[in-house]
Parts: sequence; structure tokens; C-alpha cells
Amino acid sequence: MKILIVDDSSTMRRIIGNVVMQLGFSKSDFDEAEDGLKAWKLLSEGQYDLVLTDWNMPNMNGLELVQKIRAEGSHTKVPIIMITTEGGKAEVVTALKAGVNNYIVKPFSAEVLKEKLDGVMKK
Amino acid sequence: MSMSQEEIEALMNGIDLGGDDDTQESTPVVEEDSQGTLSADDIESLINQTKNEEVVEATNSNSEVSDDDIEAMLASIGGITDNTPPKVEEKPKAAESKPKKEIIVDNDEEIEKLASSWASKKVEEGIFPYPVTKDHKPINQLSEVANDSEEKASKIFDVLSFILDENNVIQQESKKIDEFLNKQIALMQALSAKFPNIGVFQANHQSAVALKDSIKVIKSKVDAENMQLFEAMELMQFHDINRQKIERVMAVIRKLSGYLNNLFEDDGSHKEVAVAKHIHGDANSDLVGGDDLEALIAEFNK
Repeated sequence: MKILIVDDSSTMRRIIGNVVMQLGFSKSDFDEAEDGLKAWKLLSEGQYDLVLTDWNMPNMNGLELVQKIRAEGSHTKVPIIMITTEGGKAEVVTALKAGVNNYIVKPFSAEVLKEKLDGVMKK
Repeated sequence: MSMSQEEIEALMNGIDLGGDDDTQESTPVVEEDSQGTLSADDIESLINQTKNEEVVEATNSNSEVSDDDIEAMLASIGGITDNTPPKVEEKPKAAESKPKKEIIVDNDEEIEKLASSWASKKVEEGIFPYPVTKDHKPINQLSEVANDSEEKASKIFDVLSFILDENNVIQQESKKIDEFLNKQIALMQALSAKFPNIGVFQANHQSAVALKDSIKVIKSKVDAENMQLFEAMELMQFHDINRQKIERVMAVIRKLSGYLNNLFEDDGSHKEVAVAKHIHGDANSDLVGGDDLEALIAEFNK
């Protein structure tokens, strides 16, 4: 199983990666990208089973990335979890409409991420 | 009083009749004034000046500081007289202090230091704004803070990860010790059961059990430490949250800057206009009223 973590903050990528490793994955099981453009490049080059993405990022933001993933390429059905500071109801609705499978507001606990990851992967 | 032609010529050529240096200094003034227009009375008065040092000094001061005349005139005009006496008193003080300053700041470094400290003082007093340098640009500073804290947060994360990795090693090694102790306990238990009279087996068995308890304590301590580390890692999310708050402030400043630029921008076709220094209504004691103005003009036109 391959996971793609997309966040412009290196600290956040490491935090998420750390939680993912606690679930039993190794470092080789996930890749990191610092914005939507780099994530899209990785998605075009390889196959991923799960995408964890931030919203506010330079170059291409998370919402644009989700819309692009759902619209084109080989990952139109891949589970996507958005992990962001955007906690407004309107933003959550916008993200869900764009095609995210789950939504986590920062700051989050490892337990929450584990639950959401489990939920998405079971489906 | 009468003068011979020689004396007159000597005076006009700058020869010292009284043997005093001051007279030589005063002679050029005479030359300027006496270009073919000196009357006999003028010459007489000039000769008197050369004989009398005090008179010479007086003439010197007259010729050097013609501003004094203006000040004296201003002093005689009503309304301005109140301000002039302190000015006259201040002037010599300023004149005394000025040369001192000039002596102190005779090299570029000193001048720069003085200028710098003076400017800093003005900035502290709120008279001057902060200079437009990289260090004083808010967006630049905020950007530096965000980037630097990101870098430091990453380093903190490195430290936490290192401790976590080391704890994992401790746990793995503890497992090995635990496995060995389990075997040791079983062996000693069997030996002490078979040879109850040999106390060493019993003692070793008890020691192994005690060590196993110690290992349990170490394990639980490492687990607790790991929990704390995970909590610290979770808390580091606030770095990202705070960075985004800083970015929001930066965005507000950028918008505001753009707005102010739009508001105050000029098409650039206008030439720079000279600005008045003293305008009616200003809180300035140097302003001249209507009567003062007329008096000044009249005095100058005499």
C-alpha cells in the first residue's frame, strides 16, 4: 500500500508520516509532496492507494489538486483525506463536493487520523 | 585735521601707520569703499580709525557682520524686539560651540557615528520613522520568522525522532534481556526445586525475578516517554497553524499596501511643487504680521 502526503509544511508532513508509521507502515510506504503541482507529478508517475492533502499550499492548492485528481488521470477513485486548518462549515462542504472522502481539521490527534485512515482504507 | 598726500596714499596702499596688524586687515575695506569716491571727511575718519584700535575693531565688526545691522534694525521694529535679545545672546554661544563640534568631527567615521546616534535618537523619540531596510519591512520580517521557525521546528522534530528511535532500540534490547531472564528464571526455578539445599540457585532465581521487574519498570518508563514524545509531536502542529496565522497577517499587510499605493498614486505628470515654509496660522514665532512687514520693507528701503 502506497500513501501520498501533501503539505507545504515539512513539520506537518513528518507528523502525518509519524502517525502513518504508528499504524504499521514503513517509511518506504509513503511519499511526500510540498504542493499540489509536485503531488500531481508524483501521481502521474506512480500508483498510490491513499492521498492525504493539505488545503492551503502554494502553486496548486489542495482543493485544486482534489478536483484535478477526480477529473483526470489514473487516480480518479483513490481515497483522499483533507487535513487542513480550514475549519469552516462552508469549506468542509466545498471540499466534500470537490470529492474528498474525509476531512480533518488541524490540530488533530493521532487517534483521529488513525480512525479516519482505518475508515477510508476499509472502504 | 589734515593729511598729507603721502599719508593718504600710504593708507590707501595698506601701509600700517600705527604699526598694528588690525589696521592692515581693515585697509582692504577702505580700498573697496574708496575707489575714487572718498571725500575728505571720509579719509579723515578713516585715519582716526587707524590710530585708535577700538575704532578699528568697531569698523571691523561693522564690515564683517552686516547681519548685525539687520538684527539691530529688526530689534528696533515693534513686535519683533521681544524675540531678538535672546537671539543676540544665543548667537555667540552657538558661535562658540560650533567650532568645538567641527574639531571633534574631523574624520568620516566620527561624523558617521554622530549622525547615526543622532538619527537613532530621533527614531526612538518617534520623530523619524524607522529606515526602510530589510530588517524594518514587516512582511520581510514576518516571512523570515515563518521560515526560520519552520526550519527550527524541523530540527526539534529531528531531536524528538531521535529520542523516539533510541527508545525503540531500548525497547528491543529490553526484550532480549527479558527473554534471557525468562529462561534464567525457569532454569533457576528448576535447579532450586531439584537442589533445595543449594542456596545459590534460590538466590539467583530471586535475583532474576527482581531484574525482570526492573526491566518491566524500564519498559513502562520508555512507553510513558514515547507517549510524551507523540504528544510533543502533535503539539508541533501548532507551528503550522501559527505559521498560517502569520501568513494571514502578511496577506492583510500586502492588501493594505496595495490599497494605499492605489489611493496615493500619482500619474507622475506633475512637476514637484515648491512648498511654503511659513504659512499664516502656523505656530511659529518667526512669522511676520502686516505691520511688521511694512516696517521691515520701509527700513530696508531707507
